[in-house]
Amino acid sequence: MRIEKCYFCSTNVYPGHGSAFVRNDAKVFRFCTSKCHKNFRMKRNPRKVRWTKAFRKSAGKEMTIDSTIDFEKRRNVPVRYDRELMAKTIEGMKRIGEIKQRREHVFWKHRMASSKEKQKAHRKKRIEAVKSSALVQPMASPESSKIREKIKVPAKNRSALISGEGRSMTMDVD
Amino acid sequence: MGRLRRSRTHHARRDVHRGSRTRVRTRDLDQIQLIDLDPKNRAALEAQPLDFEAPGLAQHYCVECAKHYETDVALRSHWRSKVHRRRMKDLKVPAYTIEESERAAGLGRDTRRAVAPIA
Repeated sequence: MRIEKCYFCSTNVYPGHGSAFVRNDAKVFRFCTSKCHKNFRMKRNPRKVRWTKAFRKSAGKEMTIDSTIDFEKRRNVPVRYDRELMAKTIEGMKRIGEIKQRREHVFWKHRMASSKEKQKAHRKKRIEAVKSSALVQPMASPESSKIREKIKVPAKNRSALISGEGRSMTMDVD
Repeated sequence: MGRLRRSRTHHARRDVHRGSRTRVRTRDLDQIQLIDLDPKNRAALEAQPLDFEAPGLAQHYCVECAKHYETDVALRSHWRSKVHRRRMKDLKVPAYTIEESERAAGLGRDTRRAVAPIA
């Protein structure tokens, strides 16, 4: 059994998953999900769709030339089973995976280093634009808004026993 | 109430679902680029025998767009059209193939052949 690759986004398609389209020249197009199949039917070019592996590779967002990538291959020549060879291969896969991860991290750091400078320059420009505009006023300090004084009302005015004290909102009781 | 929908959302694309049926499929870009545009194949496609099923008896065929036209006048006006020019632009870059999708996934091709049958 083989783990195929999706035609559109290049992810793994495991046996029993996804769908396939066979063109009338017997070329098999595998799809991981209906999303990829629909995009294919819309005749989109995976190189121009940002979430595909093909885009990321062609736009220089991922490593393309590296010796760690060259190990995985579609081999059409059968290899006679050898226990020693198998054990060695599995050990090697682990090691290659480690090296690949490290190299990808270095690649990513290099890519980010150049983009960070660009981002900084952009931010600086924006901040200066905001500062220079006359519309923006400094915010009112929280202390100035806090000056609130309680007005003291003498307690005897609020007495219920004294009815109204001659004010108009009270009813006269006979 | 005012307008609820943003304008210019149509792009003159009608019948997306009918257009994506398998039976209306024409030749893909990679087939045209790698097979049809080869001078030998191109000559054969431009001088097809009379076909009573195809439009214009298959006598006026645009190889780049993989489409039959009824008359020579229609074919010539098609060559001047935007659709044809857009297709010409698409064909300038190498077409996306299954091999490229595998290469993007990090899956190469082993070109070795079996030397001798396994005893």
